[in-house]
Amino acid sequence: MSLLNPFNKRPGLNTATILLVENEEQFQQSLANVLVEETAVTVNVRLAKTLPLPMKNDESRPRIDLVVFIINLTLDKSVKSAKASLKYLDPGYFLGKVCFMVTNARQALGCTGRLDAVRQLAVSLHCPLLFAEDQTPEGVTSSARRLLTILKVASGLVPNTTALYLSNLTRCAMPPDIDQPSFD
Amino acid sequence: MDDSAKRLLQRLVRRIPTQMLRDTLDKWERLTAKQRAFVDFTQSKWTITQELLAVCEERELNVKHIAELEMIYVIGNPNQGMWHTFQLVDAEDDAHSLELVQFKEQFKSHLSELKRNVAVKIKKHTDEAVWIRIAWGDTFSRPNHLKATYVVHYLQTPFVFVSGLLSKHKPLLLQALTLSTRHQGIKDANLSGQKLTAIRDLLMRQYQHVFPTKYPSPLAERNRSVSNLHIENEQAEASANRHRMAGEAFGNGMLPALQSAVYKLETKFRDLTNETMTERDKPLRCVVKFSSPNILESLRHCASTGTKNILATSIKQMMQLKGHDFVSKYFYCKQNVSQPVQFFKCPQEVTHTVGTTGLILLQELLQLLSHPCCHLFP
Repeated sequence: MSLLNPFNKRPGLNTATILLVENEEQFQQSLANVLVEETAVTVNVRLAKTLPLPMKNDESRPRIDLVVFIINLTLDKSVKSAKASLKYLDPGYFLGKVCFMVTNARQALGCTGRLDAVRQLAVSLHCPLLFAEDQTPEGVTSSARRLLTILKVASGLVPNTTALYLSNLTRCAMPPDIDQPSFD
Repeated sequence: MDDSAKRLLQRLVRRIPTQMLRDTLDKWERLTAKQRAFVDFTQSKWTITQELLAVCEERELNVKHIAELEMIYVIGNPNQGMWHTFQLVDAEDDAHSLELVQFKEQFKSHLSELKRNVAVKIKKHTDEAVWIRIAWGDTFSRPNHLKATYVVHYLQTPFVFVSGLLSKHKPLLLQALTLSTRHQGIKDANLSGQKLTAIRDLLMRQYQHVFPTKYPSPLAERNRSVSNLHIENEQAEASANRHRMAGEAFGNGMLPALQSAVYKLETKFRDLTNETMTERDKPLRCVVKFSSPNILESLRHCASTGTKNILATSIKQMMQLKGHDFVSKYFYCKQNVSQPVQFFKCPQEVTHTVGTTGLILLQELLQLLSHPCCHLFP
């Protein structure tokens, strides 16, 4: 079974590899272009539409430190495809090496069901949920910067921190119940 | 200048945006350079109108000249208003050797025989199109220049595009056109839209054609550029395949910007979960409407991102070959691309037997369309 495994390859020197999984294949390209501009660390970006990844790339593929699922909240297919891809990840990834990035949350205000579903998913898997704006270059740069911070920790390049420690701080939490009385 | 000329000029200045107004006046060439410099285009439209009225009075221009100005504007910006297409049928022997001068004379004489007091202006554009502007009048009234009809015809092709035509004038215009182009009949081609350029390109096949090739993909590049060394697409082959297939079906160039396509179908409902509908003997009559800023482009995008593995090619072929609209009940199609198309929803009649989930996805719909029972009615 072709599960993607986080620990079965040796890491590279001063290298970090990130895998961007997006069904629409649009935002990932602009993110990748910004991510490779990082100078302190060599960043390798792998782009995919869904998991599982093709077997023939297995030898040449470096160890993947962070898997990011990019979900477009306006499209149902996006959410479904991301959920289907989750099955192909080794459980070792869910200790801080998976991240959900969501775009178009403002436009999807009408269908809050999808956002809640993604939030539930992130909570159950203990993963961070990031909101991104993909239409302007500033939005792309800021999302890339956030991803880089998590990526550096996940690839072990930040001393005294590991992905698991960081995930305790960044993981998604469900918002408190609406039924609770607010303080007026 | 008489009243109608003044009103026409006022209407025109209001309609044309200021940037284009200057260019249009330059092309018109009825005002001297000094007079054109006199009009200050940075002021409000009302001031511009007054100045232009004064200038035109000086030159003693009448309504015919202002009509010319309007024509120049419309020729430069044809993608406004609603254009309808007609097709000439049954050409006579000398239809293919029809010349512009002959056509002009015949058309003017036929039209004035049919209706008195029409003002006709014919102009040949650089790309072989003949533009005709018609202001209709009565035996008792002068031609009404405010509501002119525009006709575009490419000589020796069977297509005529008309905009701004009232139904009472339609038979007269069609008769004059048929006689002057030496055909025996004319029929409605059922293709209409706002963008004249798009419907013209579609009908006259002026888009990039797709020819089948034996070796479709070019040689792979050996040296990749530096920035790409760190970015790698895992499923590059699959996506390249999809792009190639989309290119094969739609071509890689600009596609004519069709904005709405309506199909009338008489077909069979096919949904395994729903037996009541599937077992009906009578064919299911439905209307399919596709609407988008650019339908063909969104279908091509759909095919290249693999959202629906399709039958987009069959839709495109249908649009090209038939070239006319088939009216159907409303199914709207949801597409997750940058040019969104509307949502799929079952028409009222079908919903109360189907129940809450009256949704037919694009894929199934397209299967419907390509189903052998599907008859497309002209």
